[in-house]
Amino acid sequence: MSAYRYDEQHTPPPARQVTDVAVERFEHIFEVDPKLMTVHVAQQLFPNWDTLRIAASRGDHLEWMHRHWATEVVSGQELLDELDAGDGGR
Amino acid sequence: MTITGTAPQLSDRVLAELTDALGGEYVLTSKTARYNRARVPAPFPVHRWRERVPDLVVMPGSAEEVAEVVRIANAHRIPIVPRDGGTGLTDGAVPERRGIVVDVKRMNDIKEIDLDNRTCTVGTGINMLKLNEVLGTHGLIYPDDPASYPCSLVGGRIGTSGWSLVGSRFGHTRDLVLSFELVLPTGKLIRVGDGGGRKVSKSSSGYQLKHLFMGHQGTLGIATEATLKLYPKPEAEFSPFWAFSDFDSAYRCVGELARAGVATFAGAVLFDEWKVDYLRRDDEAYIPQPADVRALVCAVAYGNDDEVRAGGRRLLRIARDAGARYLGDEISHGDWAARHDRYATPLHGRTLAGQVAPMSWHCEDAAVNYTNLPAVRREWHAIVARLRDKHPIFDDWGMFFYTSADTGVDYLTEIDVGIWEQELDDAAWAAWVDAKRDIAAVALNHGGSISACHGSCREGEVDLVPLELGGGYDVMLQVKKALDPNNIMNPGKYGLQRAYEEAP
Ligand SMILES: Cc1cc2nc3c(=O)[nH]c(=O)nc-3n(C[C@H](O)[C@H](O)[C@H](O)COP(=O)(O)OP(=O)(O)OC[C@H]3O[C@@H](n4cnc5c(N)ncnc54)[C@H](O)[C@@H]3O)c2cc1C
Repeated sequence: MSAYRYDEQHTPPPARQVTDVAVERFEHIFEVDPKLMTVHVAQQLFPNWDTLRIAASRGDHLEWMHRHWATEVVSGQELLDELDAGDGGR
Repeated sequence: MTITGTAPQLSDRVLAELTDALGGEYVLTSKTARYNRARVPAPFPVHRWRERVPDLVVMPGSAEEVAEVVRIANAHRIPIVPRDGGTGLTDGAVPERRGIVVDVKRMNDIKEIDLDNRTCTVGTGINMLKLNEVLGTHGLIYPDDPASYPCSLVGGRIGTSGWSLVGSRFGHTRDLVLSFELVLPTGKLIRVGDGGGRKVSKSSSGYQLKHLFMGHQGTLGIATEATLKLYPKPEAEFSPFWAFSDFDSAYRCVGELARAGVATFAGAVLFDEWKVDYLRRDDEAYIPQPADVRALVCAVAYGNDDEVRAGGRRLLRIARDAGARYLGDEISHGDWAARHDRYATPLHGRTLAGQVAPMSWHCEDAAVNYTNLPAVRREWHAIVARLRDKHPIFDDWGMFFYTSADTGVDYLTEIDVGIWEQELDDAAWAAWVDAKRDIAAVALNHGGSISACHGSCREGEVDLVPLELGGGYDVMLQVKKALDPNNIMNPGKYGLQRAYEEAP
């Protein structure tokens, strides 16, 4: 387990502009471009671990919802590959 | 005396009678208990919150206690508002004339699971998600799946005649509830179903009263217990999402998917360009999508593994032939699993200058036939654009169209609108009410119904309900007056006070 360093946790990685309105600091975690949050709402500061925790628990929740509704999730890509191979769909 | 205006303040005598019936613990008079039950998630002018606060809240624990509360209220001519999850979007659970809110959440027990007949009997305060956690251990499911699945409850589903995201496969609340017990406005306890018999799914005996007491928004009584139809928990789930570079191709594709007659088909959804633009602002799946993604389609299938795979191949082939681009397993799986939260959660919109502003989600929904969807879409966006021009506290969050049945006949048609509630003054509210009326009128002009999902009780659209139902609305007035002679049951909703003001 690595030590918790306050400064480290409160220094987010540099933002990469992904679109006109969104930036990305951690892989696959997008944020509204801070320039758009200057007048009516203030952006909240999260320690890095909390941002990652929120994203991970979101993933857990979605997994839970799949299991709650069905035993198995069928892959569309797998079925598409079968179709492309010419052995299904009719 | 019937209740036509504001109700009288509750007397100490009424309070004493209610306390005798329920015990003091379940008669709630605190400010928090009352203010928290004054609103639902549909935006409203918060500066008028006080106008909707009930005099008190009761939380009965049994049908007999509900009946006793109703008898007391009827004897004293006090308005009663049934309330379950409080998630209804047409203000059904909002007390318009003060009085007593009957919160049925304590009645949340599972009374019976009948494995052989595939039914269960529950108190109407139970939530579907919690029920399914128990049913899942028996390999069963109760597939009533609104986007509010984690927080709406069986009694509210009955009160609204709810619409389910997988209704094209399993039916909607009206199909899934076999029978239920109900306290009439006079305090009498009856059971209604498709004829008699608690667990009968089809009867030709007598009037079909189940439908009369479903979707009445608490104006005809309080459901206390329901017997539900159960299905095997699906072995397999399939939920492909596809991208299109234009709306018209996506529209054609969704029609073909819905008309294909695939037995495991549980629904198909079409998202338009406005919805895609909205998703590009805040949704992790769509922020990185290339600019030529302009419309989306999703199809869903549930059932036995072999059947879902066979049907899935057919759906994929139809989509491929219609020019769809598969968005991949990660987006397809994740977006479907996120179906219960993605519309409401952003809780912010954009001003005209593009700045983020806190906004609540509101949706206007209608039932519209497939062939009328393009025209309704054009007219609805134009209405919201005019509204936003005048009042930039509104924001068009796009539209989607979702099959209601397994044949593709009609679609839940929804426009999502962000509303900066704290800025809603009387002028902006009046403009919103006019827009809602216009939106409802468009649905009717195109041969649809004002609501597929939530009901049509709110200011604006409610004015058009008599137009939609024609002579049927007069029958509603007569039924209301016959069953609720003193107008105590959720008075003010659906304009039903007319039954007491004039001869229908
Ligand atoms: C994020 C979100 C997503 C939603 N998605 C959907 C959706 O996909 N499909 C859909 O159909 N709806 C949807 N809704 C609307 C709402 O969840 C449904 O209308 C739901 O059926 C309401 O249930 P509830 O338990 O919250 O009822 P409440 O809001 O408490 O009550 C709804 C109405 O029923 C009456 N009522 C409550 N309990 C009883 C009872 N025991 N007997 C008689 N009448 C009663 C009330 O007086 C009121 O008129 C959504 C709402 C939200 C906030």
